[in-house]
Amino acid sequence: MSCGNPTVESDALMPRRKKYDKTRQCVRCKLSTGNVVIRYAVYCKECFFPLITHKFRRSLEPSVNERPQGPRRTALKPAGNLLVGFSGGLGSTVLLDLVHRCYVSMDQSTMPSDGGKQHPRHEKIWKRVSVCYVEIAGAFPGMQDSSPDVETLIAQHDGVDLISLRIQDAFDPAWWQRVAGRPALSDLDFDLTTEGTSPLTLLLSYPYGRHTELHLIFNPSSSSTPLEKLQAYLASLPTATAVHSTIQNLIRLLLLHTALQTQSSHLVLGTSLTSLAMSLISGVSQGRGFNLKEEMQEEWVPSVPDPAEDVSSITTRRRYVRVIRPLRDVGRKECTLWTWWTGLRVVAAVRPPWVGARQDIGTLTHDFITGLERDYPSTVSTIVRTCAKVAPKGEVSGLCLLCARPVQHGIQEWKSRISIRTRDVPDAGEQSSAQVPAPLAPHLCYACHTTLTSKSSRPPPALYPEISRSSVAPAPVWVLSFMTDREMFQTSRMNEQDQRNTLKDFLLED
Amino acid sequence: MPPRTCALCNDARAILKRPKTGQQICKDCFFWVFETEVHNTIVEAGLFKPGDRVAIGASGGKDSTVLAHVMKTLNDRYDYGLELFLLSIDEGITGYRDDSLETVKRNQQQYDMPLKILSYDEIFGWTMDAIVSQVGKKNNCTFCGVFRRQALDRGAASLHVDHIVTGHNADDIAETVLMNIMRGDIARLGRCTMICTQGEDTIKRSKPFKYAYEKEIVMYAYFKKLDYFSTECIYSPDAYRGHARAFLKDLEAARPSAIIDIIHSGEAFEVREEVKATQKSQQTCKRCGYMSSNDLCKACTLLEGLERGMAQAAITDRARKRLDAEGPAPDNLRTIPFFQNSTTPGTSTPVALETPS
Repeated sequence: MSCGNPTVESDALMPRRKKYDKTRQCVRCKLSTGNVVIRYAVYCKECFFPLITHKFRRSLEPSVNERPQGPRRTALKPAGNLLVGFSGGLGSTVLLDLVHRCYVSMDQSTMPSDGGKQHPRHEKIWKRVSVCYVEIAGAFPGMQDSSPDVETLIAQHDGVDLISLRIQDAFDPAWWQRVAGRPALSDLDFDLTTEGTSPLTLLLSYPYGRHTELHLIFNPSSSSTPLEKLQAYLASLPTATAVHSTIQNLIRLLLLHTALQTQSSHLVLGTSLTSLAMSLISGVSQGRGFNLKEEMQEEWVPSVPDPAEDVSSITTRRRYVRVIRPLRDVGRKECTLWTWWTGLRVVAAVRPPWVGARQDIGTLTHDFITGLERDYPSTVSTIVRTCAKVAPKGEVSGLCLLCARPVQHGIQEWKSRISIRTRDVPDAGEQSSAQVPAPLAPHLCYACHTTLTSKSSRPPPALYPEISRSSVAPAPVWVLSFMTDREMFQTSRMNEQDQRNTLKDFLLED
Repeated sequence: MPPRTCALCNDARAILKRPKTGQQICKDCFFWVFETEVHNTIVEAGLFKPGDRVAIGASGGKDSTVLAHVMKTLNDRYDYGLELFLLSIDEGITGYRDDSLETVKRNQQQYDMPLKILSYDEIFGWTMDAIVSQVGKKNNCTFCGVFRRQALDRGAASLHVDHIVTGHNADDIAETVLMNIMRGDIARLGRCTMICTQGEDTIKRSKPFKYAYEKEIVMYAYFKKLDYFSTECIYSPDAYRGHARAFLKDLEAARPSAIIDIIHSGEAFEVREEVKATQKSQQTCKRCGYMSSNDLCKACTLLEGLERGMAQAAITDRARKRLDAEGPAPDNLRTIPFFQNSTTPGTSTPVALETPS
């Protein structure tokens, strides 16, 4: 219905602005000749460092205290420790450097000069600062393991602990027992644990054929290693987008549970303004509109809140992790300059060596925003500011089993109304006496459900040529924890024989 | 390989792959599923009530041609009890609308619906050709978009209809969601996913094809043998929309559900209350009586700029200040006739409809 025509030259339509607004002099000190242009404003190298440090502190410190700060600034007293999510990429390299300077080595140049040396801001805020690195080489064949480089890098930062994880830990019951303090199935009245493996299997169906449902089943005979389970899980996913977003999600949950384990009240991530804009647009494109707020800043509680509970006081009584992105006002260009001028090394590659990644919505968004930022430098900032002005609409019906974020009420009805996939009318009498698996869809958010079910017209190249795609895949270890919280068990219809077997010790022979 | 059976009826041979779901289905099931989804959209939103007079915004393009057909079909099948009209706007672009208006006239006969054609020239005294000759090819989409919206409302008011339905499809809406996020238009972002918009004093406007994929609309027209005109506007495109559209096409290729996923995202959030409080409230234009967020509506500001030879006045702040500095508008300035929303037949003069040719 619009009259837009992308085939016509775009340059003729939006005139390019001058790179900087007024003079070549630094807008901050107004003395030196500028060295860098940040969204039309010129800064010199001396002013650049305090500018970035100020933006970093401004994004993080108002969220340090358990309750939001009032008009008078009080001392910073977090409820727990600090965990830095480190990927080895550009943003997290800058973040680690800033955290270390500001809160570990207490570099005086990062602090405002007013208030004297005895001012409370010169005291250490965090009792313990840990860095968590999740190695994803297990997910992509041929990808170089960067963990030795990360270990070397972190060793250069005194006062910081490294927790090195592997992405396959998400399928390792031993890891779960370490972080959760209980075995994967201790609360379930099922004798299904065998040889220390996770007995839960996620059964994926075929949403394009007759079957449109997702189910959870228990698989007592699973004896695969965590890496095999991870690869089976990723191989079962229908699109490149699903693979990418699943890996991001696994990393996120590994970090969150590690934060709980290390008694960290705050998890900081190195998402720059540019990366945040990319993840917001990518999230919107994958149906994550309900969770945009969490994408900006999240107060994660590991279990489903009781509806009767006073939500405002949840954080005072429950364990929580506050996820903050302190570089959300710092663009990728500024991050690059920071690493260049401070001589930092970026250790991990950004893109995995998989040709299928080109069909990923995250990659497409990355390329699109990169091009847009080059022509219109304010766009990334506009995207982030716009998304900060919206709030989720509708009721929450629990936490998603896979991403542990709020699920919007009524999404399955919405989906079935606007995309009809069957003409069948469900028949209650059709059920057999066979085991009926627990339906999964009601416990998934829109985006995770779409991740598991939405296919592409062009299937991506196989991630692991030796693993055939299966409709049955193992689930991450925390899924079971959610299930026990919800008392969500699989159901089976009891026929006469089943009933008789249950009562056989009490029935007398005729 | 044996022929595949339809994934919906499991009986007939599948002859197409649904762009929206990827299912391989037969022709009859495609018609059924397409129409039923539109019906579900209408029923869920409670768009109409029996006896409503509804104008279909008809351009002669694919969306409105299919919309007219589907509205007629659903009105008969489900007994909505609607009185349907066709309403066309002639922008006055030589060679652009001429052929498509012929399609609309054919629809008038096929569906036996009254047709009203209104031109920019008639309402505003300017054709798009004349506007472009003054403002050039840049920014003229602003004029066309603002004028079309008013022209549709004025045409609908003259037909005494309760409701205008337009052929905006899922691709258009997804594109608009992305575009509004990227350019920070929070007010439009809040309302662009609404199926029905209505100000205090305006005619209801809805999009029954909100969840219909553009590709499926084309497919429907193809299998139903509906003829339409596919004409790109000859004047300059909106560059930003072009960027958003190209990106959306890439997303759709990567995962076809992306279009519906974006719409779902747009529906899953709303503008925060504290932000809403800072938005301008709706009022009526002091000159023409149409809804406006300022003293003068956008169309009156654009028209004043055109009449006074300063067409950029409503587009840039600097040009607006220059216009204001030149003093108030002269008394003999051409203005838009005063807008009266009359949805009750008989309260104003009868309207002249197009005679079926």
